[in-house]
Formats: sequence, structure tokens, C-alpha cells
Amino acid sequence: MSYQWDFAPVVANAPLLAQGLVNTLKVTGTSLACGLVLGLGLALMRLSPRHWLGWPAGFVIEVFRTTPPLVQLFWFFFALPLIVGIEMTPFLAAAVTFSIQSAAFFAEVFRGGIVSIERGQWDGALAIGMSRRQALHRIVLPQAVKRMIPAFLERAIELMKTTTLVATIAYADLLFAANEIAQKTFRPLETFTVAALIYFVVITAFSVVARAFERRLAVSGESTVH
Amino acid sequence: MKWDFASVLGNADALLVGLAGTLRIFAICLVLGLSLGLLVGLGRYARTRWLYWPATAFVEFFRNTPVLVQILWFYFAMPILLPFAISPLAAAALGISLNSAAFSAEIYRGGIQSIERGQWDGARALGMTFGQAMRRIILPQAIKRMMPALTNRAIEIFKMSTLASAVAYVELLQQAKLIASLNYNPIEAYTTVAVIFFVLLWPMVQLTYLLERRLKRDE
Repeated sequence: MSYQWDFAPVVANAPLLAQGLVNTLKVTGTSLACGLVLGLGLALMRLSPRHWLGWPAGFVIEVFRTTPPLVQLFWFFFALPLIVGIEMTPFLAAAVTFSIQSAAFFAEVFRGGIVSIERGQWDGALAIGMSRRQALHRIVLPQAVKRMIPAFLERAIELMKTTTLVATIAYADLLFAANEIAQKTFRPLETFTVAALIYFVVITAFSVVARAFERRLAVSGESTVH
Repeated sequence: MKWDFASVLGNADALLVGLAGTLRIFAICLVLGLSLGLLVGLGRYARTRWLYWPATAFVEFFRNTPVLVQILWFYFAMPILLPFAISPLAAAALGISLNSAAFSAEIYRGGIQSIERGQWDGARALGMTFGQAMRRIILPQAIKRMMPALTNRAIEIFKMSTLASAVAYVELLQQAKLIASLNYNPIEAYTTVAVIFFVLLWPMVQLTYLLERRLKRDE
């Protein structure tokens, strides 16, 4: 094969790729932060003995875990704005979709973590006069969260990969930028290869950090819940 | 607003075509992904370096890049190196299958590693070769432990099949786009497709839960 590789047009468009990477990290970070808060809320609703709290939370979790992320994204981008009559930007649609999706995932992690804390911890906290809320905040959650860290890190990495879906609704993430450059320069081979390598480097770096972190937790004997 | 599902039902035939496309790519990727994954998983388990390193590189690369990037690479970039064109189905199936192979390889490897050393020793003591021991003794036991993770992979493959719409392969989501743009009914079109996916995936998710519970009980 006598194809002449030429990376110069891609290098010339490096700022576009860099901006794309920043936007990728922006969506990932926003969804992760919102997903954690929402996920804790969903988990607590689900653990609550009240059905009118538990069932809606269970419904949201099931729906978001059982439908494809791209269908969810399209629904939030194309359908929701018509129902509620608001202007939807690609970023907002992506952030909302991935936040709820992560929340559905985190809710199960939180629930598993909270359930994994021995009954005695609750009893002890209540016995020294704490309310259930205080026991949760001060005794149970701090122990549970430590056990959940590996699952959180793994999810963060998955989320970064999933955010490439935003390119299909024209949010200028790294993949969208690559697509633009490929069309502009007629160099799809070089552009998509470079984009794939950037993702590979960033995601590998994250997983190396995550694994090192997990090993440290494992040494301190706290990484019992996957 | 008024919901108008009639405009979606009027296009039921288009949705059926989409469903057929979804099931086709799902079946292809399930078979290719899980069988390739077994090969790669065995390579990751091998002690021979020229088997171990390529298998490891494959797993690391495909696990650490987004599947949509892989699909677009196969669709837009790879044809430049090839003397022939790549269809949307081929590009999407390649991306999803190789990605699933990398993930299932780790499931197989973990499953095989979880079988106690003694099972190997016993099989070898009876005069079995490595291949025989693997086929007759180790894999049948390991498969049971891997079942929940493998059905979970199948669910992921089903969800990933929607990404094929990014290269205009005709599947459910692609048909929803078409129906929505022809009838100006995105709410109904996308809701219908979301419901279809939920109905198709729900039994698979329940099966995974069931297998997980059963495994926990048995061990």
C-alpha cells in the first residue's frame, strides 16, 4: 500500500482538538459531580421504608440502566424541549442525560455500600443518641464511601468514553472536533487515528491512577465492595 | 401538548425494519465479540510471550478507547488503507465486536483464573493435555461463574448497537430519527423507541440478576 501519511494538517488543527478535549472533560466532570449528588439522593430514596419514595427512585434507576445511552441522549435533546418548552443546548442535554444515567449507576453503588456496613455500626450510633440522619452522615457514609471509591473511579472512566455520544448532537467534544478536521482536511485516517490515540492516552492515564488508588485501598483492607 | 402516537404507529413497518437491523447487528456482534473474546482471553492467560503481549495490547487498546471512536475509525479511516469500501454494518459490527471481545476477554480470563489449581493438577494427572483439561474440566466450571458477567456484556452489546446509527446503519434509533424528521413527532418517535428498547432489554437484565443471585447462593 502506497498511502502517504501526512499528519501536518492534523497538527495544524491542534487547537481545535485541544478545545474538544476540554469540552469532553467539561461534560464528564459536570455529569460526574451531578451524578454523585443525585445518585446519593436516589439511593437514600430507595433505602427508605416509604413506598412513595422508593418506587419512583427504583423506576428511574431501572429505566436508565435498561435503555441505551444514545436513545436517552436523543430523547433529552429532541423530545424533552418540546414537552417542557425550553431551549435545549447540546451541552445541557448531554449534562442532564449523563448526570441522571450516572446517578442511576451510583445509586446502586451507594446502596450496596450503605447496606454493606454492619448493622452494629447503626446500632452503636443510635445507642449513643444520634438520630438516623446523624448516624448516616457521621458513621455509615464515611465508611461506605471509602469502599465505593473503586466503583466510582471505574464509572468515571466509562463516563468519559460514553461522552463521545455527544458528537452525534453536535456538541464540540474531541470526537466532534476530529470529525470536523477530517472533513476539512480530507485526512480522516490521520485525524481519527490521532483522536483515538488521545483518548487512549487520557483514559489509560486515568485507569493507571485508579488502579494505584485501588491498590492503596486494598492494602488498608477497605476495598471489599467492588 | 397533545400526544400523537398514531403518527408513529403509522410507521410501524419502518420500525420493524429497524428492529430487524438492531437484532441483526446484535447477533453478529454477540457471536463475534464473545468468541473472539475467548481467544483473546486465552491469549491473556498464556505463558508464551508472543501470545500474551499481543492479546494484552489488544485488550488495553480496545478497553481504553471509546467504542464510537472505533466505529468511526473503521468507517472513515480504515477504508483509506483498503482497496474496497466498508459498509455501515461492517464498520459498526467491527467496532462493537472488537470492543466486546476486549471486555469479554477479561471476563474469560478472570473466570479461568478463579478455578482452583487442583482442578488443573487432577486433569493433568489423568493424562489430559492442556487443551483437553481446558475444554473438559476448566471451561465448563468457569463458564458458570462467568454467566452473569457475560449476560451483562450481551446487554451492553445490545445498547451499543444504537451507535451504528452514527454511520447511518438502519436500526431502531436510526428509524426513529427518520420517523421524527418526516412527521415532526420527535417526542412520540423517541419515546416509542425507548420503550421498545426497555421491553427488549428488561428480560435480559432480570436474567442477569437471577444468575447473580443463583451464583451467590451456590458458592
